Amino acid sequence: MLATRSILKTVAQNHTASKVVFKNIAAAPMGVRHFNVSPISKAQSPDAESELLRQQRKVRPVSPHLTIYQPQLTWYMSGLHRVTGAAVGGAFYLAAMGYLAAPSLGITVDTASMVSAAAAAPVAAKVLAKVTVATPFVFHCLNGIRHLAWDATKFLNIKDVYKTGYAVIGGTVVGTLYLASL
Amino acid sequence: MSFTLSALKTASLSTRTRLMPAVGSPLIRSLQTSSSNNMATATDQPLKKEPKYKTIEIYRWNPDTPTEKPRLETYKLDLNTCGPMVLDALIKIKNEQDPTLTFRRSCREGICGSCAMNIEGGNTLACISKIDRDITKPLKIYPLPHMNIVKDLVPDLTHFYNQYKSIEPYLKQKQGPTDGKENLQSIEDRKKLDGLYECILCACCSTSCPSYWWNQEEYLGPAVLMQAYRWMIDSRDQFGVERRDKLQNKMSLYRCHTIMNCSKTCPKGLAPGTAIAEIKLMMAKE
Repeated sequence: MLATRSILKTVAQNHTASKVVFKNIAAAPMGVRHFNVSPISKAQSPDAESELLRQQRKVRPVSPHLTIYQPQLTWYMSGLHRVTGAAVGGAFYLAAMGYLAAPSLGITVDTASMVSAAAAAPVAAKVLAKVTVATPFVFHCLNGIRHLAWDATKFLNIKDVYKTGYAVIGGTVVGTLYLASL
Repeated sequence: MSFTLSALKTASLSTRTRLMPAVGSPLIRSLQTSSSNNMATATDQPLKKEPKYKTIEIYRWNPDTPTEKPRLETYKLDLNTCGPMVLDALIKIKNEQDPTLTFRRSCREGICGSCAMNIEGGNTLACISKIDRDITKPLKIYPLPHMNIVKDLVPDLTHFYNQYKSIEPYLKQKQGPTDGKENLQSIEDRKKLDGLYECILCACCSTSCPSYWWNQEEYLGPAVLMQAYRWMIDSRDQFGVERRDKLQNKMSLYRCHTIMNCSKTCPKGLAPGTAIAEIKLMMAKE
């Protein structure tokens, strides 16, 4: 028994051995269990297994997300907060740049020219312009307050998230109507 | 003989009352008991329900043919012969229609977290998610969103588990208990753990977070962060400051933008979003 154990040990440590075959079974002492030693195949070593896993992981698809996730107040309003923030900020930046660039382009931007341009424009265009600017601005402001409340750990349970969410939407409508009427 | 005649008479009487319930013969007072009317008779047929077929659309992908794009496969299932939960439907489809359909499942009672998947657009456990009985609408089943898919509805959660391991989710102390035996905890301190320890790590919340979708490698996600909080506020743990220090970077915690999809979708009714906000407040005060 000790003999077979030591033989097995040498086989186990001998990774480079490609063919280990016990031919002299008759040479082993009687009454000893014969182990049919098969070589440790290269594909089953830990390195080969992790290499196989690595190859499998390379081709795995990513499950769908935006396209299949249920439209919910939570992530829709969060997405809208980001979009309106970028839009209002970007528009403000472009307006500021425009103001700086105006003289070199020959456009006068002062109170008098702005007042006359506004007076000449049709009512519908003025209302549309005011609504387009007011809606994202008011939404982002009100939702920003909601975010500040969350940072103070207020209104964080789902019931309150939805209540405040609807309040922000309602407030946006009211605020936009007010600003557009000015 | 008289006995048999009376027996016949009673037999005919009972059949007459059953067969003519509304008509009371003037000669025979019909015994109209509600129980005798409701009792099944040999002539009654078992109530045959019309089959109620629900269309079920399931995301499928086979790693044995990796070049084939993932697809939506449609199955029809008779709801009258199936249990009420989505997991019952999946098992029935696997048993009777398509044995190649692959998904994880174990406890069938909402405690192990194996069957977490995206059902009708929201992440829940299939075993406690009731099938909508409206057969005009299909039931859509997808795997957890933005995860690498091993097969069909089975996501690769290795990275999720590694993230959990990284927050050291075990009691860490600098000094042993004061009496040398037990880590004593008051009832108020134990109450602080309610709503945190019940997490089954099903990954529904983390995979519902758009921020986790875009930053999975570095952002820990609501499930792991809630467990980090669970150890921070455990009165027996003495490494709170160090735990918070580990989150002092742009990505691990601060990719959370309070989207709150996590609390909305948790199948156990827990609030990871609240826990994360509490961590942020603690870290701001330190």
